Amino acid sequence: MPNLSIKIGNTTFKNPVTVASGTFGHAEKYFNLEEVKKLGAIVPKTVTLLPQVGNPPVRIWETPSGMINAIGIENPGIDVFIEKKLPSFKKIGVPLIVSVLGHNPEQFVSIIEKLNSQDGIAAIELNLSCPNLGHKTLMAQDAKATEALLKKVTSISKFPVIAKLSPNVTDISEIAQGAEAGGADAVSLINTLTAMAIDIRTRKSRIGNFTGGLSGPAIRPVAVAMVHKVYQAVKIPIIGMGGIAKAEDALEFIIAGATMVATGTINFVNPRASLEVLEGITAYMKEQKISDIKDLIGCLQK
Amino acid sequence: MDQIQNTYKVISNEKLCQQFWCLSFDAPDLLKEVKPGQFVHIRSNEGLEPFFRRPFSVYRAQRYVEIFYEAKGPGTRLLAAKTKGDPLDVLGPLGTPFVLPSLDIKQVVMIAGGIGVAPMLILSDILKKRKLDLVLLYGGRTRAHVYPMKEFKDNGVKVHIATDDGSVGVKGRVSDLFEKVKFNSHDTFIYTCGPNPMMKAVQDFALKNNIKGQAACEEIMACGLGACLGCSILTKHGYKTVCHDGPAFDLDDVILH
Ligand SMILES: Cc1cc2nc3c(=O)[nH]c(=O)nc-3n(C[C@H](O)[C@H](O)[C@H](O)COP(=O)(O)OP(=O)(O)OC[C@H]3O[C@@H](n4cnc5c(N)ncnc54)[C@H](O)[C@@H]3O)c2cc1C
Ligand SMILES: Cc1cc2nc3c(=O)[nH]c(=O)nc-3n(C[C@H](O)[C@H](O)[C@H](O)COP(=O)(O)O)c2cc1C
Ligand code: FES
Repeated sequence: MPNLSIKIGNTTFKNPVTVASGTFGHAEKYFNLEEVKKLGAIVPKTVTLLPQVGNPPVRIWETPSGMINAIGIENPGIDVFIEKKLPSFKKIGVPLIVSVLGHNPEQFVSIIEKLNSQDGIAAIELNLSCPNLGHKTLMAQDAKATEALLKKVTSISKFPVIAKLSPNVTDISEIAQGAEAGGADAVSLINTLTAMAIDIRTRKSRIGNFTGGLSGPAIRPVAVAMVHKVYQAVKIPIIGMGGIAKAEDALEFIIAGATMVATGTINFVNPRASLEVLEGITAYMKEQKISDIKDLIGCLQK
Repeated sequence: MDQIQNTYKVISNEKLCQQFWCLSFDAPDLLKEVKPGQFVHIRSNEGLEPFFRRPFSVYRAQRYVEIFYEAKGPGTRLLAAKTKGDPLDVLGPLGTPFVLPSLDIKQVVMIAGGIGVAPMLILSDILKKRKLDLVLLYGGRTRAHVYPMKEFKDNGVKVHIATDDGSVGVKGRVSDLFEKVKFNSHDTFIYTCGPNPMMKAVQDFALKNNIKGQAACEEIMACGLGACLGCSILTKHGYKTVCHDGPAFDLDDVILH
């Protein structure tokens, strides 16, 4: 059996396969929990300080090999999350990466303080990159702001901190460097690409929130290129995502430099996708006689 | 059931009238679980085009699970091309079923527009076991949207039909059929499914006359499992997912447009 274990900060994960925030809901809906336990980690939907009701319908639209979404981080808020959801996620017995979003640095700090009083969390992912909240710029569009926020958060968080980056930037590696300078234990990328679809009969946007974020296999080549670019710019591990549908896709990300990989939108079409990715990576390593996944990470040939 | 996703075999796939098809597949495990108002989420092909699964109400669950559908776009056209023995990738049964009427209800009126008739047959299969007056008011656009509805009649359902062009039944909309029924606020229960403007007319009528009932709603879906929060619609209690909190919503709760 090849060694699939990887590390983020001081935390070891038994394998590199996880799920993208907002695409997995409550794991128990997907398949039996014995199966979920096989994953390296799970990531629930982003939680904010206060409850959010989300955007008006229509919230999703099907596109070629993908979708546009503008959910608007509908969530019950951190207090309800800790009280009601965290216990059931912990019970699954698979490492938990909690995704959080503050509308300003102070809110991020308040959320981290609340999570610090909990245990059973493997890492915290800062969603710096949701495009659906009507902010003019995202945290992850400003390297200095990203660095300053990461400094604040890493100085108080008792858990490893991951910065989730947006592809809607001129140079994503600058933002990744900002996160690294601020003390991030890892970066994850990519979040969705700003996108739109128009109903030509009504001449209105298909999406209630006007614009949304594109995800799914359609964005995969963009995501692979960004992982490749960031891998050359930072030393911290990368969690790669964006259109992964099968093991071969995930392996592209790993070869480009991702330490961990996540299935996202494909979970909606094939609920077993993450498990199939895990099985496929293992099979590939056996076939290629690679005994340790670390030998694959960033092994792209020139 | 451990796993909600399975691959089943298509048993038959027939055109019932110009617009509508009925597909049955062999799914003994689903058969035991499915309740009226629930749906199945079907992957129309193995590739990524079209990308999403397609949701369909369960039309009947007797020997096989049946869906009743309109071939209108890429996904449903791929479905119409399936033949006996083909594999079918299905997630289900999904969603919150219809609530069944309380014991003081004597008359059930099902009000359906077009393909919205789909969840009503399995409902009448269950309700026929109780001593109830069952009525179906059906609105189709043209003759191409009307099929014999023998299964409803076999269940003892009184069927009234309206078409926009008057080619079958009454000329007009489904609301023009309301006068065919004696609605009583204390012992009539309404189920409705169809285009939103039609369900809105039913809702307005029901609320005005103080009649209880439920609507089976539709919204574009990705996961079908309550995970993505993509299919939310507005109710008096805030946003609710059609796939998990619905498709069945109380007429005095859901906000229709
Ligand atoms: C809970 C539920 C139950 C349904 N039951 C039935 C049924 O029993 N029989 C039937 O014929 N149809 C039913 N529908 C509608 C059916 O899902 C659509 O007709 C079908 O998805 C169209 O796919 P397409 O590729 O042929 O069309 P397209 O219009 O090209 O589809 C494009 C996208 O829009 C979505 N979409 C299109 N129409 C609808 C719609 N009315 N509601 C929701 N999403 C839609 C598709 O799923 C797809 O994502 C139901 C929908 C829901 C939500
Ligand atoms: C419906 C939906 C909801 C999402 N919600 C979140 C979220 O709450 N937080 C977040 O960080 N990313 C969210 N994302 C982005 C994904 O986590 C992921 O970064 C992106 O979709 C790219 O991966 P994919 O193509 O594999 O889906 C969401 C994506 C989708 C499709
Ligand atoms: S379709 Fe994903 S929540 Fe309903």
